[in-house]
Amino acid sequence: MKRDFIFSSESVTEGHPDKLCDRISDALVGQYLRRDPMARVTAECAVSTGILFVAVRLGSSAVVDVPFASREVIRDIGYERDGISAFNAKDCTVMTTLSEFDRAPIDLVDESAMTDADLDHVVARDQVTVFGFACTQTPSLMPLPVWLAHKLARQLATARRQHLPELLPDGKTQVSVEFRDRRPARIHGLTIVTTLRDARGSGADRLRERIRESVVGPAFDGEEIAPDERTRIDINPEGVFAGGGPAVHSGLTGRKTAVDTYGEYARHSGAALSGKDPSRIDRVGAYAARHAARNVVAAGLASECEVQLTYAIGLSHPVSVQVETFGTCRIEEDEVERRLLAACDFRPAAIVRRFGLRRLPATSSDGFYATLAAYGHMGRTDVDLPWERDDLADQLRSR
Amino acid sequence: MPGGCATPMAASPSRAESASKGTSPSAHDVRVVHAAVKGRLRLHVPWLRHNPRAARALEAGLSGHAGISSVSASLYTGNILVLFGPDVRVDEVLNLVAGLRVEPGAPVGRRAPFPVREAQPPHRGQVSPAASCPDPAWHALSCDAVLLRLEAAPDGLSADEARRRLHRYGPNELQLAVQRPLADIVAGQFKSIPVLLLIGSSVLSVLTGGLADAAVIVGVIAVNAVIGAYTEAVAERNIQALTRLSAPPVTAARDATTTLVNLSELVPGDIVHVRRGEYVPADARLVASTDLSVAESALTGESAPVSKDAFAVIDERAPLADRVTMLYRGTVVTGGSGVAVVVATGHSTELGRIQALVSEAAQPLTPLQRQLQSLGHQMVLVTVAVSGAMVFIGWLRGYSLLQTVRTAISLAVAAIPEGLPTVSTMTLAKGIRGLRERGLLVRRLDAVETLGAVQIICLDKTGTITANRMAVQAVCLDGRRLRFADGAIRDGGEGEGGPLTDGLTALLRVGALCSDAVVRDDGTGDSRVDGTPTESALVQLALDLGVDVVRLRADYPKVSHLERTEHRMYMSTIHATPEGRWLVATKGRPDQVLSRCRTVVRDGVARELTPVDRSTIETENESMAGQGLRVLGFGYAEVEAESLTDETPLVWAGLLGIADPIRPGIRPLIEAFHRAGIQTVMITGDQSATACAVARAVNLPRAPELEVLDSTGLAGIPDDLLTALASRVDVFSRVSPSNKLQIVRALQRAGLVVAMTGDGINDGPALRASDVGIAMGRGGSELAREVADIVLLDDDVTALVDAIAEGRTTADDIRKSVHFIISTNLSEILLTLGATGLGFGVPLNATQLLWINLLTDVFPELALAVDPAESDVLARPPRPPDTRLIGRRDVPRLTVDATVMAGAGMASYVYGLGRYGANGGAGTMAFQTLTGAQLLHAFSSRSEAHSALDWGRPSNPWLGLSVLTGFGVQLLSTVVPPLRRVLGTVPLRAGDIALSWGLAGGSFVLGEIVKVVAHPPGPPTRDVERPHS
Repeated sequence: MKRDFIFSSESVTEGHPDKLCDRISDALVGQYLRRDPMARVTAECAVSTGILFVAVRLGSSAVVDVPFASREVIRDIGYERDGISAFNAKDCTVMTTLSEFDRAPIDLVDESAMTDADLDHVVARDQVTVFGFACTQTPSLMPLPVWLAHKLARQLATARRQHLPELLPDGKTQVSVEFRDRRPARIHGLTIVTTLRDARGSGADRLRERIRESVVGPAFDGEEIAPDERTRIDINPEGVFAGGGPAVHSGLTGRKTAVDTYGEYARHSGAALSGKDPSRIDRVGAYAARHAARNVVAAGLASECEVQLTYAIGLSHPVSVQVETFGTCRIEEDEVERRLLAACDFRPAAIVRRFGLRRLPATSSDGFYATLAAYGHMGRTDVDLPWERDDLADQLRSR
Repeated sequence: MPGGCATPMAASPSRAESASKGTSPSAHDVRVVHAAVKGRLRLHVPWLRHNPRAARALEAGLSGHAGISSVSASLYTGNILVLFGPDVRVDEVLNLVAGLRVEPGAPVGRRAPFPVREAQPPHRGQVSPAASCPDPAWHALSCDAVLLRLEAAPDGLSADEARRRLHRYGPNELQLAVQRPLADIVAGQFKSIPVLLLIGSSVLSVLTGGLADAAVIVGVIAVNAVIGAYTEAVAERNIQALTRLSAPPVTAARDATTTLVNLSELVPGDIVHVRRGEYVPADARLVASTDLSVAESALTGESAPVSKDAFAVIDERAPLADRVTMLYRGTVVTGGSGVAVVVATGHSTELGRIQALVSEAAQPLTPLQRQLQSLGHQMVLVTVAVSGAMVFIGWLRGYSLLQTVRTAISLAVAAIPEGLPTVSTMTLAKGIRGLRERGLLVRRLDAVETLGAVQIICLDKTGTITANRMAVQAVCLDGRRLRFADGAIRDGGEGEGGPLTDGLTALLRVGALCSDAVVRDDGTGDSRVDGTPTESALVQLALDLGVDVVRLRADYPKVSHLERTEHRMYMSTIHATPEGRWLVATKGRPDQVLSRCRTVVRDGVARELTPVDRSTIETENESMAGQGLRVLGFGYAEVEAESLTDETPLVWAGLLGIADPIRPGIRPLIEAFHRAGIQTVMITGDQSATACAVARAVNLPRAPELEVLDSTGLAGIPDDLLTALASRVDVFSRVSPSNKLQIVRALQRAGLVVAMTGDGINDGPALRASDVGIAMGRGGSELAREVADIVLLDDDVTALVDAIAEGRTTADDIRKSVHFIISTNLSEILLTLGATGLGFGVPLNATQLLWINLLTDVFPELALAVDPAESDVLARPPRPPDTRLIGRRDVPRLTVDATVMAGAGMASYVYGLGRYGANGGAGTMAFQTLTGAQLLHAFSSRSEAHSALDWGRPSNPWLGLSVLTGFGVQLLSTVVPPLRRVLGTVPLRAGDIALSWGLAGGSFVLGEIVKVVAHPPGPPTRDVERPHS
């Protein structure tokens, strides 16, 4: 295993077309669950130039004004009518395809009211292998590159709202971290790409300076590792883009799975997380795997841990639970696996019950899931996510 | 219209014509097209076509002449319209025109590489403005200059002056398409190629000595002409009646006061006021305008409204569309208002010029009529070929030339489908009449047949699917949801009609008190509610459920009220109670009203509102709003007078949802459309939640999924993308009426035949662009009615199903008649050719063939043309718009039918040869059989698939009657001696008559068997798939 290397991860802002689609999809999931916690819903979006396509498959009697909810998201993100951009909340066209299906009787039973035997009746409806990862590179137990990339992207959005109104919500960031002995040593380089509403009247150099001040500086506040004098900082290396977002490039739900998870530092499932209700094991399984990996690290059993869960259609228990600690394990990996299986129930309905995934939307004004869509589903510190709690650590520590 | 009404007609002999023929040698090329209206002359100028120089020369030269008031030349038709005063003689005009001859500019032998732009035929909905410029260029003059030249004043003309000018300039009227005189219609009957061929045949018959044949041919022509002329005259009258529209009076200034003036009394110099929704009554120069925009599509074909500005500076040569200082007659004000001075009235207006040019084009032929015409021409070719073959075979067989020529002539006469034009006119006219009885006014002849081909129908939500008013749909109180419809509780079958609960009473009381709506007794005991739609709906509900609102309001007099503001989205009223306390009644945005409430009454006991209660109410509110309801929250409090404050805690009374109710009969209507294979689309400016709720309630989507396109600016979508999307979409929400045109165009690009309903002014362009535009007769704007093809007189959309059935039946009937006529004519050809070719001699003589023709081609065929609708007419998909009357797949059936009939005739002939020899008896047998077989075939022709003996089908008494008559007349032919002489038949024994008719019956049975074998009876196959998805 290589000990010294450079690793880069990227993140995108909430206004990136792919992320915009993720956010709309998750906002819709949240809205339906707010009205009907037992709703089954899949929401997928595609956006191109002036038109947003939303396909909703719904098993619920709840009614959501899909175009309205979509426009709300677009407006919240910051695509408002400014007389320049072709894509904005007011003028864009929303093409909605709503198809309904009937739920099976088991779909109507709330997981929180299920007995242990009932949990077995809820089987995986998808075949999927999901991965969870955690490491000690950051306090959030996330790999440093993606953690920093998210911080930069989030700071870029904050700066746009506060000081840089000429920026469009569409932007992306990349951070390259130099690792020595598998520990982050320094920032090798970082890239920020922004888009402008209007190219007129703002010099590229002046903009670069302002982004450095209001984005790079604050983003590394409180970080152990900050850019040094050798760190290469590229801000709009190809010049300034006038126009951006869906008006320029198209977007699709579920195309940023690496950004949603570990920035490619660890493995992740190909299945999208956004736009799926809690009955989808490819979504909640990923959360459960992260929760397990996180608690292994938090319990001090290893400093890096990957948990792999494989589900097969028609079975409730995962067909495979694997733990990989990359040689950092303080006990036998098999023992970790055993303790994990004892501490956590990986059955789909059990995960939903443990995390309270059906009731979370009702407790939050934006329907909870929309918050997850940008800046990662894992390792969040700005929201209290059930899979980011170290509530199993004690149990895992004790044999 | 058949009979060549599209070609210019020579006027009855007049001074004009004699002038053109005689006195002036240089004018001999110029032909008078129309001179029936005094002071109005339409001439055909041969060198004018595609020759803009000639047009300019003519317009300049003629309009400079004293007494000639207007000249417009059409490069397309080569016609020129001259309007002139009473002092000018027609021959003077002719000489003038001849003197202005200009040959086309291109050198001899070289043709223009591309057709001249002006040579485009006038397209529907788009008329190229006349090439001429008004003189002077009003649009380029300043307002003051215009007033000065017109000797007008900003405060209007005096009544005397107006009268004088009315005398001088004539009434502000447009001559609508002139009604064709009966003579024209009759003459038109003789102008089709088949009839000309018949006339030629009769001449040839006379020359070959067949006087009797000639007489019969003339008889055939005459009968056809009479029937044709009659049906056309009736159809013409119907159409004329439709083009007349009543015009509202115009707001104008006269004698310095603003008054209403009849449209026809408007004169140049009048000051007129126009505002949104009104027609521009005459051509006028603006003198003032406020945000004025005008839709000029009627004139320029441009669908987007044009902004007008009284003070813009315009170049003298600006095209019509750019003259923003001008208003033109026939255009519609879509926004703002303006004041203008009239510069031209009546025929001098741009619209008048154009109308004069296009009116000669009369009603264009409908697609079916065009097909019929070309079919007629093809039949003529076939006939000529067959006749040639007949003469050749006769010559080979050594028959006498005279005999074969006469038979060839009669074969030709028999084969010519002279009844075809009459059939289509009659069928379409019948369709129009039928629709009229159902409350549909058809404004274009071909709209009937296009209706039958409609594949997708775009329905307006408001006013078409919904009733365009507000009514309470749902109430939520005590944690229960009650539904309302037609002013009664519909609680899922329970609780209906029961006494009102206390909770509901309290809610209704708040709704009735906290309201500015006024309740009036209309004298009949019923109450009328006047107020905003929302408040009216609330009060109406209270009235419907038996609350005595008038008394309630008397008992609780209002002492004060608090208006709703931007920050306080609710209103409160304070009432004195009979007990001397004060009642606060509040209604408004649910969340804000709820935040004012502290308690709720459950099961008669007041208790604190818990957070759970509040969250439940919030969820209910969201859910009702999600269903497209406008949701209001209600609260009340009864307090002592002294303790009343702005923040007095209220008791939560409940939520109430209001919406525009769906009109009765819409859901079955949509279902009927779907059964008929017609896609339904709803177009609305409403939010998608409302739109989706309505779409679901009426079951709009045909597929399991509902597709909604929500957009305020369809303009942002590329054309090809919209084309791809449009045919999938069930609901277009939040679109503006002007987007409807884009939707219609996109659907048409997707290859669909589009029908569209509309009632607003802005719907005009879309109604016109759609294949069938449908306007509301009562609720609709005048413009919508004018551009629509069909007007629903009672605003009852459910009649559209009948209209579509009628349209399909019309197309079916024309098909049936055509198939009948082709197969029977073919049988005559086959029999004659076959017998001659086999050496059995000529079975039927000329007169007999003509007799058959008269007997079978006319009466059964006309009866078929009015055949009632097939039972599955609304259970099958629409016919593809390019279906041919006679397609490749029809050929085998027609051939089989013709062969079976000819075979029966042949059998009869061969039997007769054995029994009577060749001296007439055999021919008479064949004559009887063929006539009988053809008459019976009429029954067969009623359906391609169903057996004639399928009694379940709707019957056609006319057909039975006509066939019965046919047999009766046929019997006479062998019984009445003079007829026998003319027809050359011999008396047959009764047994042989029976035998010959029996053979006819046999052919009928055989034909039916073939049909049943080819189409085994079974349930009609239904296409449930979307045609384009």
